[in-house]
Amino acid sequence: MTGFTTPEHAVLGAIVLCLGGAVFTLFIDHRRRVAGWVSFGVILTTAALVGGAVAGVLRHGPGPGVTFLSLPPLGFALRLYVDGLSAVFLALIAVVSVPAAFHAIDYMTSHRPRSAGRFYPHLLVFIAAMLGLVSTTDMMWFFFIFWQMMTLTGWAMIRYERSCPGHRQAAARFLWMMQFACAVTMLGAAMLAQDGLETVAGTELMRFDFDAVAHHMPALLAGHPGWVAVALTLFLTGFGIKLGMWPFGQFWLPDAHPAAPSPVSALLSGVMLKTGVYGLMRYFLWLVPSEVRADYPIGGWGLAFLFLGTLTLFTGTFRALQQEQSKRLLAFSSIGQAGYILFGLGVCLVLLGEGTPATGALAGIALTGALFHTLNHGVFKSLLFLDAGAVLHATGTQDMNKLGGLQRHMPVTGFTALVGSLAIAGVPLLSGYASKWPMFTAALQGTAASRWLPVCGAVAVLTSALTLALMMKFYGAIFLSRTSRLVEERRQALGRLEVSRKMRTAQVILATLCVAAGLLPFLGFAFVSRALAMSPHGLATAPDTIGPVTASAAGLVAATNTAVYAPLLLLALMLGLFALVRLLARAGGSSQRAAAPWLCGYAVETDANRLRAAHYYTELHRAVGRLHPAAGRLPAVEPRPQNPNEKPASAWSLEKNSTC
Amino acid sequence: MEVLILILRSFANVVVVLALAPLFEGLLRKVTARIQSRQGPPLLQPYYDLLKLLGKEDIESGESPWMQRFAVHLALATVLTVACLIPLGAPVPLAGAGDIILLVYLLTLAGICTLLAGLAAGSTFSLIGISREMITMIALEPLFAITLIIGAVNTGTFRLETVLDGSVYAGGGVPWSGLLMLAVMLLSFQAFVQRVPFDIAEAETEIMEGPLIEYSGPKLAVFKYAQMVRLVIYSSLFVALFIPWGSHLVFPIGWLLFWAKVLVLVLLVTLVAATHARYRIDQALRYYGGLVGVSFVALVLAGFGY
Repeated sequence: MTGFTTPEHAVLGAIVLCLGGAVFTLFIDHRRRVAGWVSFGVILTTAALVGGAVAGVLRHGPGPGVTFLSLPPLGFALRLYVDGLSAVFLALIAVVSVPAAFHAIDYMTSHRPRSAGRFYPHLLVFIAAMLGLVSTTDMMWFFFIFWQMMTLTGWAMIRYERSCPGHRQAAARFLWMMQFACAVTMLGAAMLAQDGLETVAGTELMRFDFDAVAHHMPALLAGHPGWVAVALTLFLTGFGIKLGMWPFGQFWLPDAHPAAPSPVSALLSGVMLKTGVYGLMRYFLWLVPSEVRADYPIGGWGLAFLFLGTLTLFTGTFRALQQEQSKRLLAFSSIGQAGYILFGLGVCLVLLGEGTPATGALAGIALTGALFHTLNHGVFKSLLFLDAGAVLHATGTQDMNKLGGLQRHMPVTGFTALVGSLAIAGVPLLSGYASKWPMFTAALQGTAASRWLPVCGAVAVLTSALTLALMMKFYGAIFLSRTSRLVEERRQALGRLEVSRKMRTAQVILATLCVAAGLLPFLGFAFVSRALAMSPHGLATAPDTIGPVTASAAGLVAATNTAVYAPLLLLALMLGLFALVRLLARAGGSSQRAAAPWLCGYAVETDANRLRAAHYYTELHRAVGRLHPAAGRLPAVEPRPQNPNEKPASAWSLEKNSTC
Repeated sequence: MEVLILILRSFANVVVVLALAPLFEGLLRKVTARIQSRQGPPLLQPYYDLLKLLGKEDIESGESPWMQRFAVHLALATVLTVACLIPLGAPVPLAGAGDIILLVYLLTLAGICTLLAGLAAGSTFSLIGISREMITMIALEPLFAITLIIGAVNTGTFRLETVLDGSVYAGGGVPWSGLLMLAVMLLSFQAFVQRVPFDIAEAETEIMEGPLIEYSGPKLAVFKYAQMVRLVIYSSLFVALFIPWGSHLVFPIGWLLFWAKVLVLVLLVTLVAATHARYRIDQALRYYGGLVGVSFVALVLAGFGY
């Protein structure tokens, strides 16, 4: 593990490769398709390099970190350090960015409000920045550089379609929120940093290096606990803004994600939010050395995370339920799912604060679940954004009121969207259940640590039904119900609506990952447990919290032997019973026939009397409206045309290839 | 050998449920008729209905026939899966497959199948029906989940065989939380089994069975069968959670006692259904909202050991 074969070198190589690719694609911006393929090739190579780094860390454990560049007078050093925790996030970036880049080739070719030179370079720098952000140890300057690389390119990609109303404001809001988060986080780092160079374990570190700060932490905690608490609050705010935490998430996230081109929405939601998760985990669990755990009010922080997480998951999901724009709905749901991750992290901290072996094991379960959910959410949310993008590409709208019946016309997109929707709703045998299960297990069995855990856990279970409701609205309104007039017109104009093979491939790959992670969750658990075992110095990675779930092909059993989940057995059982039911249904030998739906014999179904997305769950919105008028206001529905054959005033036109 | 016994016991549960579900339905119809001073159909009428429907023509009218078939078949397959995970007068056959979280989510999946079937049929009536069904699920899922969570908090485990054995009363002292949940579940039980006054999603007199409107022939048979099984499953769960006494007696006595309790519960459902009028969805939602609030109070009480 010396020379150029360390994981850190591989990650730096990947970053440099992405930056090189960015410069190259800048010069071939007139050749859209070529630029797309080049960027895909670069990202694929990057993913291979990152994959090598991840495999290296998991096999041999982390090295000491590698300093590539340092300017001691400024306290400025590019030191990368890849341990198991970084490896999880690096793997997530690699796994999601490859299908997203593949999807982007065709998406960006036919969708051309602006030059490709304003897209691919930004995309590559964006990915490079995220790779840097989860592996740098510099809490100040290189954090700033990577954060700005990520923010500025993200801003540029969000305002890619700047002619659309609202997109510029969305981008600007994103930019300012991220700058605020950056400033807050750096302020926190400045408060904790001590003067002078520090030599820790034989390596000379700059004052803003993570390990140097951690080295000073015991003295700081003993002398100025309030000071540390303020700094940690700043970190919580900064990274909380990034991951969409209540109350900050709603200011930027639901506007920014739908505005970006869909492959970018997939990356923003699937990966970029997770840098906030990384920051919170790293700063709250790895910054304080385990010797001084007694001085660190970890349980109190856990309660803060728990309440914020519960609020975030409930409000995000509930707001999502009211949306009528497909990508906006998904963006709000991302807030909700980020809330689940925050909730899992909170459960872990609360249980760690209790400090008994039993709660330690549960804390390990919670952290494993939160990390696994981070990975799973990255996969299914980017899948759903790609599907929403495919629908947008095919029909030119993301207004779910105007869509319907696409399952027949876009079978692959529809099927993958169904898989993604069921996965996010936590249906057993898919990935969402596999990662919510450990979080619920830890929360609901942790009564010993805090009586709030089961209450917040029950809210999380309840929210799971809301998630299901909103995904049923998403899938049902777009792919099932009745074919809308827009879809019919579009189909007649274009011949076929299903997207190109490349885009379908990207969707199928992600859907397969959802199913695989759901049926073989032991692989995910093994990966995350191994990663945590390879992340020394963390509070939650003591030997008693590692490997809290016995995971094998036969199933998952919590170390406390109080919870169990055997997906393959369940699959066999359900398949067997499904076959039995089919046999029963065919036993009568009845004939089949297709017919038009029955509308009481007199009404003709038109676009005007279709049940649209706006009309789903109106009673629920009204009921909440009594408690909270703003949240319960019924969504405005455009007036129905008098003559059913007449187009509504805001009719979308076939000629204009716009996706506003 | 052990595996064989497990398979046989699961199969026994499936067969018992499939065999008894129409009988309970027939009883329900007969008793309802008697309460309403009618003669009522023969006790075995639901069996004849199912047989007749299996041979009738199957008319598919939705946008996605593939989804219609899948959702309907999965609906019955899911409730039968649940039958293998709960005690039906005998210990849980497949306790190793999952825990109470799985149970909550599997019952949700059974609801999802109804939703998908209604959405795939695509008629405005069925869409109104599934919108109501979803609202009901949002309100009811926490009630059921909290009952199980209270059991888990009391016993410290998620294991099905422990929780589905009167665990709501296991807190020690007077089990206030368990009694509170008993009241809540009694008050909402009609909604779980989709009977009057909470059969709002189907409401045959106003939206013509909502999600079911476009289904005929074998699909309707399977769907109806799933609803009958659902009545048995929820009654069994209720008995296992709240009326556990006597279930551990030797085989025929414990078994008979269990089904007698289920029968009493079904008769109670019938009595309420036959004497009430349907609520509107907004009235029902307010009612469920109150129950959810009370169940959270019960959960907090359980956290404090009551």
